Amino acid sequence: MEAHLLLESKVEMIGTVTDFTYKWCVNMGFDEHSAARMALSVDEILTDIVLYAFKDEKGYVEIWYQYTPSEIEIIIQEKGEPFDPERHTYNREKALIEGDFKGASLETVQSMTDHFLFLNRGKDGKEYRLVQKYIFPHILDLVPNEYNFEKDEDPESEHNYLVTPVTSEDAEDIAKLIYRSYSYSYPKEDLYFPRRIETAIYNEYKYGTIVRTESGRPVGYFAVVKSTDSMIGEVTEAVVSPRHRNRGLMKKMMLHLIEMSRSRSLSGLFGMAMTNHLFSQKVNSRYGFKSTAMIISKTGKRTLKGMEKSQLDMISVILDFLPLTKQWQRPPCLPKDYAELFSEIYNQFEEQEESTVKQKPAGSKSEQTDMNLSINYESQSALITVKTYGSTFVGSCMRMLKSTEELTLTSLYIDLPLDDPYIDSAITWLKDQGFILAGLVPFFHQEEDYLRMQQIYKEVNFSEIQTYSEIAGKLKKMIQDEYDELQKNQSEA
Amino acid sequence: MNYKKTSQKLEIELTGDFNLKAVRKISDLLGDRSELFINLKKARFVNSKAIIFLHKLMQGKPRVVVRLKNPPKIFFELLQTLGLHRIWELDEIVEP
Repeated sequence: MEAHLLLESKVEMIGTVTDFTYKWCVNMGFDEHSAARMALSVDEILTDIVLYAFKDEKGYVEIWYQYTPSEIEIIIQEKGEPFDPERHTYNREKALIEGDFKGASLETVQSMTDHFLFLNRGKDGKEYRLVQKYIFPHILDLVPNEYNFEKDEDPESEHNYLVTPVTSEDAEDIAKLIYRSYSYSYPKEDLYFPRRIETAIYNEYKYGTIVRTESGRPVGYFAVVKSTDSMIGEVTEAVVSPRHRNRGLMKKMMLHLIEMSRSRSLSGLFGMAMTNHLFSQKVNSRYGFKSTAMIISKTGKRTLKGMEKSQLDMISVILDFLPLTKQWQRPPCLPKDYAELFSEIYNQFEEQEESTVKQKPAGSKSEQTDMNLSINYESQSALITVKTYGSTFVGSCMRMLKSTEELTLTSLYIDLPLDDPYIDSAITWLKDQGFILAGLVPFFHQEEDYLRMQQIYKEVNFSEIQTYSEIAGKLKKMIQDEYDELQKNQSEA
Repeated sequence: MNYKKTSQKLEIELTGDFNLKAVRKISDLLGDRSELFINLKKARFVNSKAIIFLHKLMQGKPRVVVRLKNPPKIFFELLQTLGLHRIWELDEIVEP
C-alpha cells in the first residue's frame, strides 16, 4: 500500500518515477486525470532536483508514497544545494514580457496539488510534500433528494443479527448507517463518502465487521485502521443504529474485531477514547484495554456539507492499549522523570515478559539522527518520530521544529524510542522547547515502545477532562502539573 | 519516440510524457528546421519545461511553427497556470 523509493538523481530516472507515481495513484483509487496531476507534480520537483540541486554531482532522492482514505501524500527528500522557494516565485508578466520563467515548476506543482509544502531542514535536507485529495461524492449526493434514511431501519422487534467481516461492497451501507445514526455529527469525515470507505477496505487500510438484521439491513459497523509503521491497529469508527442499541451488538463486534486482529497476527490494538465522557473508556476497559497515554488537542473534524470551512473541535483522548502478543517486553530502563508512572503503566499488563533486551550503552550514538515527520492535514497536527538518536539530535530536532513553524498546527507530538539512555537528555531538552508528557505509546513504530511528548498551542481546560481508570487519572495529573509549570515559566519569561 | 524528418519539418510521435528528456531529444533533432509537429496521444502530461521550450521556439528568431495533436487536458490547465493561454494562438497550434 505505501511505497518508498531511493533513486540516484539522474534525468533517466524521472520517467520511471513518474510512470510509477501515475500507476500507484490509479491503483490507490485516483481517476486518471488526478493521477496525471500527481505524476506531473512529481516530474516538476524531480526535474528541478536533477537540474539544480545536484547539477553534475552524484546525489540521491528518496520518495515516500502515503495513502489515507481522504488523500494521497507524496514526500520527496533530497540533500542537494540549498534552495529558497521564496526567491523563485513565478511572475506571469515577467514570463510573458521578458521570457523569464523562473519559478514555473513550483507554480505548476502548487496548481496541480491541493497542498504543497516545502520544508527546509537545513543540513538534514529539503522536503517537498505533495497532497492531493480524493474527489468522491458525499452519501447525500448518491441518494435521491427525498431519500428517507429512516426507511432503512428494521422494526425494533428485529433481534436476529448476522455479524460478518466488511467488504468494499458494504461501503454505501456503512455511509448510510453513519448518516442515519449521527446525521452530520460523526467526527470521521471519511465515513460520509462511500468511495473513500470502499478504497480503504479494498487497499486493506482498514478491516472491520458489519452487523445486519435477518432481512439484510445494516445496523452496526466497527473497524480497525491498521498502522502503517507497526503491526498494530486502532479500533475506531464504531456505530450502532439507535433502534438497535443496548442489545450487545457493540460487544459482538468488538470480540469479532479482536479475533480478526489476532488472526492477522497484530501485536496489539489501541483505542483513542474521548475524555469529554467516560463511555468509550469504560468500553475499552471492559475488553482488557489499559490506559497508557493522554493526548491533548487531538482534533476531530465535523462534516458540514456545503460549507467551505469545517469546524475543528478541541478534544482530548485517552490512549488505551490491548496487547495481542505474548512477546512484549518492557524496556530494560525507564526514563528517569517518568520511571514510577511508566512502571505502573507496564504493570497493568499481566502477560508481559521481563526484558531480555539490553539497553543501548550510553555514548554509543552514531552521528546521524534519524527522524521523520507525519502531518495530519485534516486535524492540523503533526508527529515527529525519532527512529534513532544521533549526536546531532538537538540540531536535527531544532531544524525539524523550525520547519514545522511553516505549518498551521493545533498540536505537535514527538515519539522517542525508549531503548536508549539518551532519552533522559532528549526529554529535558524537549521540555525546554515547550513539550510536556503524553505517555507511553506501545508498539507504535516497528513494534517498539515509544514515549510520546506533546506541544499544545491552545489553552487546555483540565476540569473538562474525565478519566475512568486510576492510571488515566495519574497520567492526567502528571500532564496537568507539567502544563501548569510550563504556563508559569512562559508567563514569567 | 518516433520521428520523421524533412529539411524543413520535424514530426514527432511521443511514446510517453513530454518531459525534460523528450525536450532534450526534440531539441537535438530539430536543428534549424522551421516546423515542428508533435503527436501527444500517449502523453499523460506536458511539463512546464516542455511548454517553455515550445514557447521559446514560437517566440524565437527565426520562429518555429509548432503544431500539436492530441494534447492531454492537463496541458491546457498548465498553460492557464503559466498565463500563456493569453498569447498562444491555440486554434492554430492545436490540431483538431
